[in-house]
Amino acid sequence: MTATATIPVSGMTCAACSARIQRTLEKTPGVATANVNLMTGSATVSYDPAVVVPSRLVETIRETGYGAEMPTPDGSAENLLGAQDESRAGETRELRRKFGVSMVVAIIAMALSMPLAELVGHGSTADPLMALMMPLTDGLRQAMPWINAVSADAWRWLLLALTLPIVGWAGRHFYTRAWAAFRHHAADMNTLIAVGTGAAFLYSFAVTLADDWFATRGIEPHVYYEAVIWIIALILLGNLLESRARGQTSGAIRRLIGLRPATARVVRNGGETEIPLAQLRPGDEAIVRPGEKVPADGTVLEGRSNVDESMLTGEPVPVAKGPGDSVVGATLNRNGAFRFRVDRTGSDSVLSRIIRLVHEAQGSKAPIQRLADRISAVFVPVVLSIAIATFVIWFDFGPEPAYLHALVAAVTVLIIACPCAMGLAVPTAVMVSTGRGAELGVLIKGGEALERSEGIDVVVFDKTGTLTEGRPAVRAVVLGGESEPGWDESRLLALAASVERLSEHPLGEAIVAAAKERGLTLVEPTEFESRTGRGVVGVVEGRRVAAGNLGLMADLGIPPGSLAPEAERLAGEGLTPVFVAVDGRLAGMVTIADSIRPTSSEAVARLERMGLATVMLTGDNRRTAESVARSIGIGRVLAEVLPDRKLDEIRRLQESGQVVAMVGDGLNDAPALAQADVGIAMGTGTDVAIEAGTVTLMRGDPIGVSTAIGLARRTMRVIRQNLFWAFIYNVIGIPIAAGALYPAFGLRLTPAMAAAAMAVSSVTVVFNSLRLRNV
Amino acid sequence: MSTAEIAVTLLGVAGIAWVNWYFFIAGAGR
Repeated sequence: MTATATIPVSGMTCAACSARIQRTLEKTPGVATANVNLMTGSATVSYDPAVVVPSRLVETIRETGYGAEMPTPDGSAENLLGAQDESRAGETRELRRKFGVSMVVAIIAMALSMPLAELVGHGSTADPLMALMMPLTDGLRQAMPWINAVSADAWRWLLLALTLPIVGWAGRHFYTRAWAAFRHHAADMNTLIAVGTGAAFLYSFAVTLADDWFATRGIEPHVYYEAVIWIIALILLGNLLESRARGQTSGAIRRLIGLRPATARVVRNGGETEIPLAQLRPGDEAIVRPGEKVPADGTVLEGRSNVDESMLTGEPVPVAKGPGDSVVGATLNRNGAFRFRVDRTGSDSVLSRIIRLVHEAQGSKAPIQRLADRISAVFVPVVLSIAIATFVIWFDFGPEPAYLHALVAAVTVLIIACPCAMGLAVPTAVMVSTGRGAELGVLIKGGEALERSEGIDVVVFDKTGTLTEGRPAVRAVVLGGESEPGWDESRLLALAASVERLSEHPLGEAIVAAAKERGLTLVEPTEFESRTGRGVVGVVEGRRVAAGNLGLMADLGIPPGSLAPEAERLAGEGLTPVFVAVDGRLAGMVTIADSIRPTSSEAVARLERMGLATVMLTGDNRRTAESVARSIGIGRVLAEVLPDRKLDEIRRLQESGQVVAMVGDGLNDAPALAQADVGIAMGTGTDVAIEAGTVTLMRGDPIGVSTAIGLARRTMRVIRQNLFWAFIYNVIGIPIAAGALYPAFGLRLTPAMAAAAMAVSSVTVVFNSLRLRNV
Repeated sequence: MSTAEIAVTLLGVAGIAWVNWYFFIAGAGR
């Protein structure tokens, strides 16, 4: 037996962090699978409870140098997010405090370093930034003349005293995490910071302890304490900005959760009582007044109102609700009051399912991430090697004091290299865009879905329910053929409806609805047979009734006779004729129309403008289908396709080398949606099969297809920009830090400048991803 | 080249070799 626990993890800054925790968990006895998510800050672990307990898993994560909390008892996305929020807020608070103190100390240390640098040799400082600051020292000296009396040794000890709390407290986690990684033969950004600042600190410490030893060997006793403090302060600033920006990337899901009202007004013992939402149970009856939010999913029992479902579907027009209609929790009741029966609460509710889906999507990895992961894995050891080579080259060939230049250049290389930007490039973009999608009523299931959606060549619409309303209605009943004397339209419709009663086909349902609307009495058929793609045959009041298309009539050997031209004409107008035969003779036909959605032509036009081919797939006869396609402006029609052949049509398109998106209602076209490269399930507000497609449109509006593809394209563009900048930053930054421009231009960077550049690079990536919020 | 420079060069080469061995070769077997 396996159990699953989702453990909030804090302190992860890049892909290497999450990868290492995941590897460690996977090696823990009793753990079947582990998935650690950098963006959501959580580890999802399947384990054998007989072998390992959650507290042990938490311990294991903490041993890798990161923070972990005991999993919440109810592993719902809301609770997990709550725990993560708390842990992230704590992390941000701590970073802010550490950064604040480090920054103050850095400024003090800089001011103190200047007179010291003068004492040990004015012109020879290896740090150009410090050299630039040197003139300021004169002012300082005039303001505080006693400074001149302080010895260089005293300055060094004072600087050491300032540095110790920064290294031991503010920057402590860099060292503990670097050490934890090192023990696992891994290296990440912490390794670079720890080695870089560690080298500068240890050298300075040696100089402080034994300045005479250095002086007697002709080495100026320089210290780099202020550089250590600046590096830690600036990287903490980068981490702080990044942590806050990452908090914003999960804003969409937070807003979804915030939609839920806190209380519900239920009917108990004949009176109204307000109870906390958590106490609401399926079967309860609740009352919603104008302006209030619907507390849970349910069915209206009494009263009428308009409900604004835009927060779930993106649809701005409120939807009329009356007895029998379903309502969704967290939607806003506008003008009327109603009483409803609660059907689903908590994790079963539509909102919870959406939150769960978005949460999972935000944590999923895009295939392009593998590229970033591969680079990150080799990045740090390569940078360490470059830093060593830099030291050697400066030492052997650099100007005097060579060893100082060598040390500064090597430390600068370690500090400027930034694997974080590469690690953040993909997940931040995926997170922001899936969140933004949810706000637009487009649920995209993760990074892979985004990547595949970008490459779509052709969009196939299953006509019914996507381009049309999916609610076919009877337009006319035509008597003809060999109908019996004395029959009227009602008689024909009643016979057809009686045999269609057991049919689940939308056309059958339309006939039954029309009969009921006219108050006709329907009888139970004594025999019934449904022929897929053809129609139905049954025995009603002792008479053999068949209702279906020309194919069914042909099967039964019944010629369409005089009705054929009329049927042809109506089909040309986009209507679907259903022939009705009684006792082997054609008695007439019922024509049915499914109205085209008002936005269908606009949706198709937008896709065409985006350079995509559009195809309409339908089981309808060719004449009807072509007429509908013409009025929508769709390029190609695949008509008379039986439900089980839809999958083959998708496959055929794929075999011609095209990337195919299939848009369906997710109910009867699930196999075709699954076969397509991207399955787009189009829901209609409340009754949405949100798990059916790779992409789910919450709003019954085909325009969502272009929104989804547009969002995917922009996201991939942002991901490529991010990867490009992260890569180019390192490709340019590392050689400059190593001193590549020194021979030609005399240009060098200082460790503090490198720390600032590194902070900027990872923050830039996060902010570039945040631009997707404005799509 | 001075003795110090030769020593630093040799140490550097050894350092690079060790870094690559430790993270890529020794780490891969785990």
